[in-house]
Amino acid sequence: MSDSKYFQTTKKGEIHELKEELLSQREDKKKEAVKKVIAAMTVGKDVSMLFTHVLNCMQTHNLELKKLVYLYVMNYAKNHPDRAILAVNTFQKDASDPNPLIRALAVRTMGCIRVDNITEHLCEPLRFCLKDQDPYVRKTAAVCVAKLYDVNPELVESQGFLAILNDMLGDSNPMVVANAVAALTEIDEVSKHEIFRINQNNLNKLLAALQATTEWGQIFILNALCKYNPESSQEAESVCERVTPRLQHANSAVVLSSIKVLMKYMNSIHNNDVVRALCKKMAPPLVTLLSKEPEIQFLGLRNINLIVQKRPEVLQYEMKVFFCKYNDPIYVKMEKLEIMIMLANEKNIEEVLLEFKEYATEVDVEFVRKAVRAIGRCAIKIDRASEKCIQVLLDLITTKVNYVVQEAIIVIKDIFRKYPNKYEGVIATLCANLESLDEPEAKASMIWIIGEYAERIDNAHELLNSFLEGFKDENSQVQLQLLTSIVKLFLKRPKDAQQMVQTVLNLSTQESDNPDLRDRGFVYWRLLATNFEAAKAIVLSEKPLITDSTSHLEDSLLNELINNISTLASVYHKPPETFVTKLKGLKRGGLRGVRDEDEDEEPEYVDDDNNNISNTMSPQNSQQGYGQQQQQQPQGPQKTGSLIDLDLSDLNFGSPVNNNQMTGGYGQPQQQQQQSPNDLSFLGGGGGRGGPSTPPKVNKVLVYGKEPNHQNIVISGAFTRFNGRISLELNLLNTSQISMQKFKIQFYQNYFGITPADPILSCGSLEPNQQTDISIPINTTGASSPQMNPVIDMCIMVLPSQERFYFKITFPFNCLLTENGPLDKESYLSMWKSIPELNERSRDIPVRVQFNPDSILKSLASKNIFEIVRKRVGNQEEISFLSCKTENSIYILLELTFNYQTNICRCVSKTTSPDIMALFEHTLEFLINNPY
Amino acid sequence: MLSSLFILTETGDILIEKHWRGLINRSICDYFWDQVLASKKENGSVVPPVISTPKYYLINIQRPNIYLLGVLQTEVPPLLVIDFLQRIYETFLEYFSTTAINENIIRDNFVHIYQLLDEMADNGFPFTTELNFLKEMIRPPGVINNVIQGVTGSSNITDLLPNGSLGAIQWRKTGIRYASNEIFFDITEDIDCIIDNNGGIVSCEVNGEILSNSKLSGMPDLTLTFNNPRMLDDVSFHPCVRYSKWENERVLSFIPPDGNFKLLNYRIKGINQFPIYIKPQISFGDGGGRVNVIVGQKPMNPSKLIENVIITIPFPKSVNNTNLQVNVGTYSIDEATKVCRWNVGKIPKEKTPMLSGFVNLTPGQPLPESNPPITAQFKIVMFTISGLAVDSLACNEKYKPYKGVRSMTRAGKFQVRV
Repeated sequence: MSDSKYFQTTKKGEIHELKEELLSQREDKKKEAVKKVIAAMTVGKDVSMLFTHVLNCMQTHNLELKKLVYLYVMNYAKNHPDRAILAVNTFQKDASDPNPLIRALAVRTMGCIRVDNITEHLCEPLRFCLKDQDPYVRKTAAVCVAKLYDVNPELVESQGFLAILNDMLGDSNPMVVANAVAALTEIDEVSKHEIFRINQNNLNKLLAALQATTEWGQIFILNALCKYNPESSQEAESVCERVTPRLQHANSAVVLSSIKVLMKYMNSIHNNDVVRALCKKMAPPLVTLLSKEPEIQFLGLRNINLIVQKRPEVLQYEMKVFFCKYNDPIYVKMEKLEIMIMLANEKNIEEVLLEFKEYATEVDVEFVRKAVRAIGRCAIKIDRASEKCIQVLLDLITTKVNYVVQEAIIVIKDIFRKYPNKYEGVIATLCANLESLDEPEAKASMIWIIGEYAERIDNAHELLNSFLEGFKDENSQVQLQLLTSIVKLFLKRPKDAQQMVQTVLNLSTQESDNPDLRDRGFVYWRLLATNFEAAKAIVLSEKPLITDSTSHLEDSLLNELINNISTLASVYHKPPETFVTKLKGLKRGGLRGVRDEDEDEEPEYVDDDNNNISNTMSPQNSQQGYGQQQQQQPQGPQKTGSLIDLDLSDLNFGSPVNNNQMTGGYGQPQQQQQQSPNDLSFLGGGGGRGGPSTPPKVNKVLVYGKEPNHQNIVISGAFTRFNGRISLELNLLNTSQISMQKFKIQFYQNYFGITPADPILSCGSLEPNQQTDISIPINTTGASSPQMNPVIDMCIMVLPSQERFYFKITFPFNCLLTENGPLDKESYLSMWKSIPELNERSRDIPVRVQFNPDSILKSLASKNIFEIVRKRVGNQEEISFLSCKTENSIYILLELTFNYQTNICRCVSKTTSPDIMALFEHTLEFLINNPY
Repeated sequence: MLSSLFILTETGDILIEKHWRGLINRSICDYFWDQVLASKKENGSVVPPVISTPKYYLINIQRPNIYLLGVLQTEVPPLLVIDFLQRIYETFLEYFSTTAINENIIRDNFVHIYQLLDEMADNGFPFTTELNFLKEMIRPPGVINNVIQGVTGSSNITDLLPNGSLGAIQWRKTGIRYASNEIFFDITEDIDCIIDNNGGIVSCEVNGEILSNSKLSGMPDLTLTFNNPRMLDDVSFHPCVRYSKWENERVLSFIPPDGNFKLLNYRIKGINQFPIYIKPQISFGDGGGRVNVIVGQKPMNPSKLIENVIITIPFPKSVNNTNLQVNVGTYSIDEATKVCRWNVGKIPKEKTPMLSGFVNLTPGQPLPESNPPITAQFKIVMFTISGLAVDSLACNEKYKPYKGVRSMTRAGKFQVRV
C-alpha cells in the first residue's frame, strides 16, 4: 500500500480519468483520486484544471479526505481566486463543526489561502475560533491572525484582532500563549506601529507559560522576552532565574535563545556575583552545542564568537573544545580557529601553538593558510608569545611547502610591524625563500621587509633589483611596494640604489597605466628632488604599532549583535537593520509592484531612472579631486602635495588594502569620458533634426510578474510610435536567482500582422535583480490574418534561454496610424460619399477630462488623427471632421460632434473595413480622455 | 518564520515542496544547487548551512541521500530552523521505521509527509515535534496499520484530538494501559578525543545519552538516581525532567513519554584513561614510507571485550601502492582516496593486532610531511567509560515496573595523530 503508485499514471487521458474518479460516489475512490492529484502536484504537473472537481469533494465527513482536499486547495487557490470563493461556504461551515480538529483544520487552511476576496469571509469564523473552548483551535486561530495580517493588514487592524491576540497572552493554555506570542512578534516586525509591547503585566504571564509550553513555544517566548528592558536589577535577576533551567533543554535553539535572554538581562544586574554565576552556567550548554551536528556547531560557533568578545570569562577555560577535528567540515574549522585566537592567552599559548602547527600540515589549503595567520595574530596579541610564534613560523618555513612559506612571510611582516627591531635575525631565513614566492601579497610583504630593514641586509639592493627586472609584469600591489622599498633603500643607502631609484621612478611615472602607482611615483620624485632630508623624515618616519583587531567588532555593533544572538544577524555579524530592511524592502517592493497596476500613477521605473542619473552624477563630483591632481602633474615638481597625504600613503604599506580603494576611484573618470560625448551630441543634435528629438515618455504597464515572489521575471511595457516607427518598450527585471540570457521575443499571430523586427533582443544577460530597458522595433509588414478577430491585446512571449513567459500587452490602435493621414476637404467629401452607408457607425463618447475641443483635437493630431475642418453649430455644439490612415492604407473618416451641454463627444465614422472600428473607437475614447 | 521547505535528492531533484506561506518558486532550488556544486568544486567541501540570496535566506541540512532546505523571508533564528529540520528528519525516520530516508521512501509516503508537515508547523511556526502527539494525530504507515485500514476502511487520521496533548504534559496522553509494565534505559557514551603520536591526550570529552523505552500504564511519576551524579556537570534533558529536582537533589524526576525517547544528554570532561591504545608509526623517506600501527587493550576493571574495532588510515594522495600485512582482521584500501580501512574486529586476548608494511610514493612527488590523523571506531558493551550507572528507580504507581539498564561505550570522533 505505498503511495508511489499514485505517481505512475502518465497516460494521456489522465486528467479526464481523474475527473471521473473525483466525481465518484465512493469516498475511497475520491480519496485515491485526490491523492493522485496531489502526487501530480508534487512532481510539478499542472492540475489546476481539476480545481472545481477537487473542491466538490470537500463536503465530506471523512477527515482524511477533507485534509487532502484542503491541502490541494491551499496550493491552488492562489491561481484561482475566483474559484476559491466557492470553498468559503464549506470553510465557514467547518469552522463551527462540533469536532475541534475540523474547526482547527478549517481555520488553518482558510488562512493559507492568500486571496484577498476570501479574507473578508474569514473574519467572523476567525473571531469565534479565537474564543473557542478548545486550546488547539485557539492556538490555530492565533496563528491565523498573523497569516491574515500578511495578506490584509488593514482588515486585521480594523477587526480588532490585534487586541484579542494581546489578550491571549493571558490564556490559560501555555501553547496558546506561545502561538499568540509568535503571531504578535511577526506582525510587530512588519507593522508600522508597535503592537506588541512587553510590560510588567504580561511579562509574568509569559514567564509562567515558558515553563509549560513546547520547546518551539519556549523559543518564541524567550525571543519575545528580549524585547523587554528590565526596570530593576532584581527584576532582571528574577527573569534570569526563571530562564536558566532552559539552558538544560535538549533543543539547541532553546538553549541559544535562553543565552540571548541572559546576555541581555545581565547588563541590568548590578550584583557581580550573580553575573559571575550566570556566566558559569552558560559555559556548559554552549560547549554542548559543539558536540551536535556540524550545522548546529557552525551556528553555535558564530554566536560563541560574539559572546567571547563581550564576556571572555564565559569560556576562558574551555579552549580545548575548540580544537579542530580532522573530519570537521571546513566551515566549522574556520570558526573554531577564530575562537581559539580569541581565547589564546599567556597560559595556554603553547598548547594552542602546537595545535596551529598541526593544522598547518593539513591538506586543505584555505585552512592551512588561516592556521598560519592565526599564529601571526597570536604573536601580535600576546607580547610574551611572539618569540615562540616566530619559532613556529620558522619551523613551518623549513617545510618548504609553497603556500605555507608565503603565508608565513605575510604574517612575519605583521609581526615586524608590532615588534620593530626585535626579530631581524630571521630575515636571512626569509631571504632564502625568495624564489618560491609567487603570490602578490607574499611578494609585497617580502619587499616591504627588505625595504624596511635595508640597512641590515647587505645585499638588499641585489634582492630588490631582482624583483625590479620583472616590474612590468607584477601585480600593482607588488609594484607599489617595490617603488616604496627602493625609495627607502635609496634614502638609507643612496650609493647602492641611485640607478635603481631612477629606473623605478621612470617605470612608475612613465610606463604605467596605474594612476596610484604614477601618483606615488611623482610624489616620491618631487620629494626626493626638493629636499632629501625631508623625504627621509617622511618616508622613514616611525610607524604606529599595529594591534590584532581583525576579529573584533566595534563596541556598538557588538552590543547590538549580542542583543540579537541566535538571529541571522548573529550569523553574519552584521547589524540587524541590514536584514530587516532587506526583508521589509522586499515586502514593500512586492506590494508596490501589485499596486502599480491598479493606480498606474507614476511607474516606479521613472524613479529608477532618476536614481541612475543621480548615481552617475555623484561620482563626477567626488571625482573632481582627482582631476585637480592630474592637472598639477605637468607643472613639474615645484609644487608638492600635502605632506599629510604622503605620510598616510606610507603608513598604509603594511596593509595594501588601500590600493583597491584608489584603483576603484580611477574607474570613474572613464565613466565620465563616456558620458561627455553623449552630452555633446545632445546639445548639438537638437537643432539639426527639427521637431522633437527625444521620444515621448512611455508609461509602461506591468504585464508580467505581478507576484514577484512567485515569478522569475517582472516585465512591464507598452507600445509606442515615434517618428513614424512603432516600437515596443519593455522593461525586464530579473527576480530569479539565476542570470538570464539570450532573450528572444515572439508575437502571436495577430490581425494586424505585427511582428518584432528582430526576434532576438539586443540585451545581453540579465543578472539577478538587474533590470533593463529595451526598445524593440516593430514591423507591420508581417502576414496579417484578416480571418482573425481584431483584438486589442497582443499576446507576446519572451524567451530567455530556457524559460518562456507569456503575457499580453494592450496594443494602442493609434500606433498603427501613419503620419500621412491628413486629407483635403474635397478628397474627404468624396471618400465619405464613396463609402456605403452600411459602414457608418456612431458612438457617444463621454468626455471626462476638461471639455476643450481645441486641446483634445490637438492631442489627437499628435496621435496622427488629423483635423480637416471644424464648424460651430449653434451655441451648444462644435463639429470637427477628421481623417487618419492606418499602416495598411485604410482611411478612417470621422465626424466628432462636441456637445458643450452634455459633455459628450459623438463620433460618427466611416471606413472601408468596418471590422477594425470597434477597436478604433475604443482607442479613440481612451485618447480623448487621456490627452497626451 | 519558515516560508517553505524543499526536500531534495542527492542529485538536486525536488522531492517535496511545502509552502507554509505564499508559493516560492522552485527556481530557488536551482540557486541552492549551484551553491552546493560550487562548494564541492571549490574545496571539495559541503555547502554552508546558511546561505544568503538576493531575496531569501536558505538554511539547509544534509543527511544521507537527501537535503532538507528551509527558505526564509524574514528574520528567523537559524538554529530554530536547523533544529526543526533535524526534527522533521528524525520524525520521518521514526514514522517510516528506517535508518535512512531515500527517494523511494519519500515517494511511497508523500501523503503522510504532507500531513505531518501540516501538523508540525503552521504558518511556518514550528508547533510540535512530539512524536507521541503526531502519532496520535496521524497514524504511521506500517504493516499492521495498513492491514487495519484495508480491513476496516478506517483512515490513518484520527478523528479526535489526543487527550491532554495541549496541557502541561504534552508528551504523554492519559489512559495508557499495558499488561506488563516495563521500562528500559540505554546508556551510550561516545568518546570524542584527539590523541597525539605519543599517546598523550590533546583533548577529550565524553558525550553520553540515555535513551529510554517506556511501556508503563497510567501516569507514572518516576525517580531515577545515579551512582555518582556529581560527575554530570553538563546535562540537557527531555522536557519531562524536572529541572529543579535535579538542581537540588541530583535525581531525575519525571513522567515519561510513552515509547521511545531520549531522557538526557550529558558531557563529561577530564577522562584521561582509555581502555584502548593505538600506536601509529608512519614515517616517510626515500620514495616510500614505513607503516606500523598497533592496537591494544589496556587492563580494565571489570574486564570487557572491545569489539567492532575499525582503524581508518588515510594515506597521503602521493602514495602509489602499498605492501601491508595484518595479523588480526582484514584490511582494504580505496585506491581513489588512498584510505586504508583495517577491520580488526574483536581485540584478542592472546596477541596484539598489528598492521605493518611499506607504502610507495608516486615518483617525483614531494615527500609528505606527515600522515593525516588516524581515526578509530570500537565499542564496548555493558561498560561506561565514565563509570556512570543507574542506582535505583522508584515509581509512584501501584505496580512495580520491570526495569532494564544497558550500557555501551563507543568511539565517537576518536582521532590519533601520527
